[in-house]
Amino acid sequence: MVALERLVIELLLLFVEHDALNAFLRDPRSVAVLVGAMIALCGALLGTFLLLRGQALTSDAISHTVLLGIVVTFLALTWLTGSTPDLSSPLLVLGAAGAGVLTVVLTETIQRSGLVKQDAALGLTFPLLFALAVILVTRYVDNVHLDTDAVLTGEIGMAWARTNSHCLDHCETITITEDDPRAQMTRQCTNCRQLGISPRDDGAQFREVCLNCGTYSPARAWQAGLIDQQPTLVFVPKSLGIMGALTLLTLAFVLLFYKELKVSTFDEALAHALGLRPRLLHYALMVLVSLVAVGAFEAVGSILVIAFFIVPPAAAYLLTDRLSVMLFLSPLVGVAGVWGGYDLARGSLFGVADMDALLAWANATFGLQLGAVWDVSISAAMVLMMGLFFFLAWVLSPKHGLLATAVRRLRQRYQFDTFVVLGHIDNHSGTARQAEELALETLHAHLHWSRSKLWRVLARLRALGLVQVREGQVLLTAHGAQRLLAFRHHNLIGRW
Amino acid sequence: MDAQQNRRVWRLIAGIVLLACLFVSFSAWGLGVNYTYTLRTVALGGVVLGALNGVLGCFAVLRQESLIGDALSHAALPGVAVAFLLVGRELGALLLGAGAASWLGVYAMHAITRTTRLKREPAMGVVLVLWFALGLALLSYIQSLPNASQAGLKTFIFGQAAAMVAQDVQWLAGMSALVFVVLAAFWKEFKLLTFDAEFAQANGFAVGWLNLLLSTLIVAAIVLGLQLAGVVLMVGLLIAPATAARQWTHRLSQMVVLAGVFGAFAGGVGAVLSAVDAKLPTGPMIIVVAFSVVLVSLLFAPERGVLATLLQRRAERLRFAKVVPLPERERNGRA
Repeated sequence: MVALERLVIELLLLFVEHDALNAFLRDPRSVAVLVGAMIALCGALLGTFLLLRGQALTSDAISHTVLLGIVVTFLALTWLTGSTPDLSSPLLVLGAAGAGVLTVVLTETIQRSGLVKQDAALGLTFPLLFALAVILVTRYVDNVHLDTDAVLTGEIGMAWARTNSHCLDHCETITITEDDPRAQMTRQCTNCRQLGISPRDDGAQFREVCLNCGTYSPARAWQAGLIDQQPTLVFVPKSLGIMGALTLLTLAFVLLFYKELKVSTFDEALAHALGLRPRLLHYALMVLVSLVAVGAFEAVGSILVIAFFIVPPAAAYLLTDRLSVMLFLSPLVGVAGVWGGYDLARGSLFGVADMDALLAWANATFGLQLGAVWDVSISAAMVLMMGLFFFLAWVLSPKHGLLATAVRRLRQRYQFDTFVVLGHIDNHSGTARQAEELALETLHAHLHWSRSKLWRVLARLRALGLVQVREGQVLLTAHGAQRLLAFRHHNLIGRW
Repeated sequence: MDAQQNRRVWRLIAGIVLLACLFVSFSAWGLGVNYTYTLRTVALGGVVLGALNGVLGCFAVLRQESLIGDALSHAALPGVAVAFLLVGRELGALLLGAGAASWLGVYAMHAITRTTRLKREPAMGVVLVLWFALGLALLSYIQSLPNASQAGLKTFIFGQAAAMVAQDVQWLAGMSALVFVVLAAFWKEFKLLTFDAEFAQANGFAVGWLNLLLSTLIVAAIVLGLQLAGVVLMVGLLIAPATAARQWTHRLSQMVVLAGVFGAFAGGVGAVLSAVDAKLPTGPMIIVVAFSVVLVSLLFAPERGVLATLLQRRAERLRFAKVVPLPERERNGRA
């Protein structure tokens, strides 16, 4: 992990100055957008397959149940080692992945009994696992502080602040021991608190304690003034490192197993027959989903992370019928949402509208007493932005969108009206009842239409030169007869 | 067949009631639970909430919309935030806001499934996260305001069963009664809608309105339960009793009654169990009890249950072996 980060840094330094790199990594905006984009990329790629497999809400379930994995591993580690483990320990992440797989296995076991449908099986499994996790947490883990804000919205805006330092040059690790001249020694009373006496009383016992002993990494050594020459350091935010590794893993998974994923998503039986091991692939997918859910937890919170799995693929699904295009569009929607969302949270809508001004306008217009400063959760704003893109795709999608559908329906209605009138005229012209059936005054009754509708349609048809009105009768023009013939030939005779 | 099933359901209900009575006395003597006023209130609230959700959950489960509870309980958040911004911290307004937002969520969900090719699950997911994100954005905006009365807005969302007071339970009971009356009045329509919506439409029922009415009932149950019980509890409480009840009967009426009884049992017993130790949370304990009921039902229900199926298969195999005797050699080979 650390070596990987180091490698990437070395590579980057071939192209950019070390100061520029540090400036980039210390900028809240660039780090937040970069981390968000990585989460969006992972989520969108994996979510695409979840959506197509009809398991969109599995990400919801998994993002809840990873808590059980984390808690159980945490308690097991505490019990085994006798001390409180580090919350960023990789073992906890493994436990979380295990819980994700457990969720899927449990759901499938319940479902396979044939007694419970898929949605209910999922809805039974994850509340149970989550409830167990909550019981364990409240019963046994009371010294770990869980901030509800952090759980809900994450702290992607603060992602830049928690860093790992990498030293490139003038790296000197300092170790101070008790006999070092730099050590600051002091005396501490060992039995004062026990006996409730002051250090000046008789019977107080002392021991020598070193205040600044220990091993100093180059960054801390420079901070403490222990070395003279400033080391060349690069500070990599922790979330960036984690999400970077997960992004590489996800990309590798999707690219390497593209063919297998495609076949097993659309035709699992065929994948079996071809020997592609779809079950194994399925569990690998679920492990990746769990890992991303855990990795993104700190940045965007436990519930909003689901959005990164569901919304971009749903938007992409409305836009295309091809898996390859969908796999390209869905990360695009996610990343664009992250990009626009950061600015939205900071009060600017695509740099076009200013949210503060909008609030002031709302206050002035509706007499509201809203606060005048727009300052909202960054991750929530990112998700809202993705929602906006989903909405746009819903309305504007060229093939399946609301607008395209409305236009198609309108054209179909026009066509239907046109040929109902033309057909009626053609059927009755030259017959004994022609005068009665085609009279302008009564035609609407024969068609079971309202008078106004007939007038509307007739006006259109006359403008197009398809019908003419002669002596109070509606008749076809030559052009109209030709059109009708072509229509019948194409749509009726041709079909038969 | 019907009479037999009827008897079975009545026996089951009697058994559950007996079990609950036994549990109450056992918890008082054996587990040392002290039935204080608070505990009685919370347990009663759990019983009512469980019954209400159990009954409505039947429809959600049969319509394969089990996770609607999850979606709607999250979707309530922006309504609460908007109500708070406009009116302030007043319970009625907050409940109304929550209901309105969830209801809009249902509407959006139906709109998405009707006009796009997205299925019900992703539509639910999209509505869940978008509504929730909007709520969180508004909540973070509220928190940035210099206004002290925002405290407690979050427990409103995530529930605090222990904070239940007698008035809440009365409210809950009144609303439940209302929901049951509506359910009884539209029983035939809801039944038709659940099992064959197209047939209902072809027979001239206003399927759209009925759908909306049924969703509104579920929204009401969720919103009422939310502030007492929390989001994840609502999901489980909606699904588990209905799933358990489904295993014991093939009739909707019996399933609904059974689910209500199971839900009430889980709500009450879970609440009492959480009083055994001060550190046990109420909501999750109710879920665990409800899931135990599901597990017992899945395993031991007659006809459908796992055990019954295994026994039946065994009997069939033996019968088959008797009717079609295998050659001596093969029978030995298999043994």
